Amino acid sequence: MNYIALKMLMGDRGKYLGIVMGLTFASLIMTQQPAIFVGLMMRSYSFVTDVGLPDIWVMDPKVQFVDDIKPLQDTKLFRVRGVSGVDWAMPMYKGMIKARLADGTFQTCNVIGLDDATLIGGPPVMLEGRLEDLRRADSVIVDIDGARDKLARPSKDPAGKPVPLKVGDTLELNDRRAVVVGIAKTTRTFQSQPVVYTTYSRATLYAPRERKLLSFVLVKARPGQEVHALTRRIRETTGLAAYTQAEFEELTVNYFLKNTGIPINFGMSVTLGFIVGAAIAGQTFYNFTLENIRQFGVLKAMGAGNGTLLGMILLQATLVGMVGYGLGVGLTSLFGWSMRNTILAFKFPWQLLVFSGLGVTLICVFSALLSIRKVIKLEPAIVFKG
Amino acid sequence: MGTATVAVECRGVRKTYDGSGQQVVALRGIDLDIHAGELMMLVGPSGCGKTTLISVIAGILDQDEGLCRVFGHDLLHMKDKDKLRFRAANIGFVFQTYNLLPSLTAAENVSIPMILNGISRQKAQRRAVEVLERVGLAERTGSLPSELSGGQQQRVAIARALVHGPKLIVCDEPTSALDHETGHRVMDLLKQVALDEDRALVIVTHDARIFEFADCIAQMDDGQVVKVVRSSGQS
Amino acid sequence: MLPKATLPILAVAGFLFGVYSVVTGNQPPPVAPAVVEPARPPFASYIAGAGIVEARSRNIGIGTPLPGLVKSVEVKVGDRVEAGAVLFRLDDREPLAELEIRRADLLKAQAGVAEAEASLTDANTLLALADAVADERAISAEDIKRRRNAVLIAKARLETAHAQVRQAEAQLAAVQTTLDRMVVRAPIRGEVLQVNVRLGEYATTGFLSTPLVIMGDMDRLHVRVDIDENDAWRFRKDGKAYGYLRGNSQLGTELKLAYVEPYIVPKRSLTGDSTERVDTRVLQVLYSFDPAALPVFVGQQMDVFIEAPEYTGSTPNPQPGEGGGG
Repeated sequence: MNYIALKMLMGDRGKYLGIVMGLTFASLIMTQQPAIFVGLMMRSYSFVTDVGLPDIWVMDPKVQFVDDIKPLQDTKLFRVRGVSGVDWAMPMYKGMIKARLADGTFQTCNVIGLDDATLIGGPPVMLEGRLEDLRRADSVIVDIDGARDKLARPSKDPAGKPVPLKVGDTLELNDRRAVVVGIAKTTRTFQSQPVVYTTYSRATLYAPRERKLLSFVLVKARPGQEVHALTRRIRETTGLAAYTQAEFEELTVNYFLKNTGIPINFGMSVTLGFIVGAAIAGQTFYNFTLENIRQFGVLKAMGAGNGTLLGMILLQATLVGMVGYGLGVGLTSLFGWSMRNTILAFKFPWQLLVFSGLGVTLICVFSALLSIRKVIKLEPAIVFKG
Repeated sequence: MGTATVAVECRGVRKTYDGSGQQVVALRGIDLDIHAGELMMLVGPSGCGKTTLISVIAGILDQDEGLCRVFGHDLLHMKDKDKLRFRAANIGFVFQTYNLLPSLTAAENVSIPMILNGISRQKAQRRAVEVLERVGLAERTGSLPSELSGGQQQRVAIARALVHGPKLIVCDEPTSALDHETGHRVMDLLKQVALDEDRALVIVTHDARIFEFADCIAQMDDGQVVKVVRSSGQS
Repeated sequence: MLPKATLPILAVAGFLFGVYSVVTGNQPPPVAPAVVEPARPPFASYIAGAGIVEARSRNIGIGTPLPGLVKSVEVKVGDRVEAGAVLFRLDDREPLAELEIRRADLLKAQAGVAEAEASLTDANTLLALADAVADERAISAEDIKRRRNAVLIAKARLETAHAQVRQAEAQLAAVQTTLDRMVVRAPIRGEVLQVNVRLGEYATTGFLSTPLVIMGDMDRLHVRVDIDENDAWRFRKDGKAYGYLRGNSQLGTELKLAYVEPYIVPKRSLTGDSTERVDTRVLQVLYSFDPAALPVFVGQQMDVFIEAPEYTGSTPNPQPGEGGGG
């Protein structure tokens, strides 16, 4: 009977396509929108992820998210370094500094100051130059997106494309000269400001005069040291906030979730996608069953039991569900793949596969239940009614 | 005539429908015997209870009162599961509107009753082709119902009704959607192919053109059998 | 085979593509390794501090007692010099000229002495002649008196001439002192660390932000460690200490406590900026180490770890230096 069920379903091409399209749409919306959402949210803390080396980030207790810089006194570095269980602790400066471009315009840059000696916290991928080149005088490393776009110098030809910043070019950061010695690849951040890496002491020179300049202390736990115990110890002994990398990412995401309308927007898109998908698919599937109710009646009269019919409907629902789900997921992946080199935020974690799978399953179960109810209640005697 | 040859035996069958607020009495005590090897026609005006009666006989509707035995089995008191199995094995259906599954080919449509009886698809398919040959549709086994004419469709339906060798075939207005000539051919076919020694045919119709094919005509009115006319040779 | 398998096949392909994007799209980003390994503390419980290397004598910024143009620089950076060795000389033409004048003055004064002596001899002779005349009529009493007075005057003149010689001598010595002051010498035995003065430059007196010459005793080096005042209570004099060079954590040495400056000072951040930002107060502890142990230079920063009791030692030991670690 399974064969018959499938043939029944696929034989009615219009309805079959309608149901599959509804489910594909639902599955697409339920993966693509959250993928963009997750991508955006991950961008909010992509900087933390990029600086993968330290286990723990230490900062002012009032810091709410990664771009909320509340600087510390320089000596806090040594206090943190003095906490037992700390393998190493390194300073990091992070701040917005205005860069003056070749054409005289200003561009706010995210300047990252790394520990002078170890350069811990550097960009994950160097495209040109080496991180060690930061030891050279006035040297900075610029991220590729910034170099190509916001920091690019205008073309001589007024209609031409801007010329990307190259190694050897100079910038002016707060009236100080900076020489580009490297181009790095970084994960895009939420604000998408150009990222400029330099050493900590040079960053303090570029930075506007402030009494305190230390943005973060990056800490590595000693081998065998339990990280959460260490964060607790750092908090207790220094009075500063200490987060593991994951906690800091979570803190940042939660800030964005709480303080921006982004989750509501995407939540609504996803819900709408789910509802519309459920409505189209459920409606079409139910219609399909209704249209075939006579056939089900005939089958029932000819001796097909409720179990058999239920199995048939479930099989049909499963098939359209899987086809729609697969197509939707495929389309989302295709979308993400084709957008991989654009500024679009797109992140496709496995949880989304499960999430949309559950969503599609829910729609199918709901549609199947409607149909099953109808078929179970069906009196075979209707077959004799004109 | 021994009991073995009585295919269907109805005694005092009553059926009342609960239609919105008011009760509609469909059958008011039917007494009717249908013999094996007999083509019985139920005739009468619309709403006289013909359809209800064959539904009861075919085991797809439970009567309120009375007894209805089909080959000695009391379907009313049979478990649902057994009733399904009984129906699948022993009863064939032919409908006015053919009721073929539109997405399935003729052969596939014909093979459904056998699949319901647990026969493998391949085997059922082979048998279906044989039966289609018998009803003269050897060339159309792979056609969809929409590609067939009304008469051809009804022949497919007949093939479906008898492919699994049921003992009782229930037909609901098998010719009323067909023109005179086609209707005759269908009736010929039913008479030739479907009817044999131990099989009974019940045909509900008010198509007077085919009365001549009947062995026995039971006339119904207002939920009762008012007259049973058996053709020559029958008591 | 099912009829119309296109959609299911597409769906399977789509799902596989989805799985592929999930797998490839979620690789963790690569992590930039540390360019050099950071210094790791050798103790379980410790105070961390930044230290700056200095000479044992501290770094002596040599000044000049007199302002003037530099005539010659006698040392190079890195020279080991004994105490009193000449470091640089100032332009001394003016005092040299003065010296000649004073010398001439001395000669002149000395000539005055001879002249006065001759006058005295003359007066004495005349007096003696008069005294030798016995006849009172031959010479008047007045004459004799005059002659006696002439002797007295000549004697006084001789004294004056002597005084003038001494004065000329003293003036000569003063000029020579000035000349000597125009030669700047090493106050101690040590090494020349920096020479900021060049031939022809004008050296001024007073405290200079860049001293003319910096030198220090380099037999042992000291590292001046800043300890945050919040951590100061944990400092123990008998705690072991290790210092590591910035930029290569393999280069480290054990440090010996030299002395503790008991006065807590405002911390100067070590960025070298002229307008240092004072943000906290620090205890400065000096440790000494053998310069042969490390390829280290004066003024270099070091990461220093000092063994100290745990924070969770609850009651701070009131006597720093007595605690045996907790």
